[in-house]
Amino acid sequence: MDIKEVIATINQMQADGIVERYAIGGAVGATFYLEPVATLDVDIFVAFKPESGSLIVRPQPLFDYLKARGAAMQGGYIVVAGWPVQFLPSGSPLLVEALRESVSKDVDGTPAQVFTAEHLAAIALQTGRAKDKARLLQFIEADALDPGRFQGILARHGLTAAWRKFERQFLSDAP
Amino acid sequence: MSFDLQKMLESKRALRRNLAARPVAEKLRMLDALRERELAIRRNAAPPDSNYLREEPPPCRTKSQ
Repeated sequence: MDIKEVIATINQMQADGIVERYAIGGAVGATFYLEPVATLDVDIFVAFKPESGSLIVRPQPLFDYLKARGAAMQGGYIVVAGWPVQFLPSGSPLLVEALRESVSKDVDGTPAQVFTAEHLAAIALQTGRAKDKARLLQFIEADALDPGRFQGILARHGLTAAWRKFERQFLSDAP
Repeated sequence: MSFDLQKMLESKRALRRNLAARPVAEKLRMLDALRERELAIRRNAAPPDSNYLREEPPPCRTKSQ
């Protein structure tokens, strides 16, 4: 079980032209900025290269590519280097922007494309499950966000009201 | 050793800061280890025929399989 091997596999898949761009999100993405928190899977957000003459993008080449290299499909996951990996399309304006502005991080000589801390926090706010709110609080408590950049993302993607509600719920001293 | 709650909380915050500041490669190795441990706990937490309500983990492949 080796998450670095997952990253190397995705890099190779990108180099081979199967995906146009990728970025690591979710708990694994957050680990690039925060303390590690146990997670059971890896979320990889991808942009596919459209096939010539078609406006429809198909994920099948991605699965075929990985299966040919020993990965196994199990439910909605594909198991790479012992890790269940979920490939997610960048299907909202926020995710498109997050993917476009993702950053390269060095993992012992292996480059890894990762969402910025501010985009990870905004996506957590938008997704809004209990564990997402906990992650957003981690980012805030760790002082890991650039406030101006974060507020800009919230404003561009209609998340200002959700942020105010979050502030009232979790960051206000008032009862 | 002290039972001062404020000191305990500050100690926890310091530990989290320390962990967050470790090199990324080291933190990712911690994720590998955390996942191994989480799966081991889940495998042994409850017998398969129990009536406990539990979340099913995503599929996994261990080295022995």
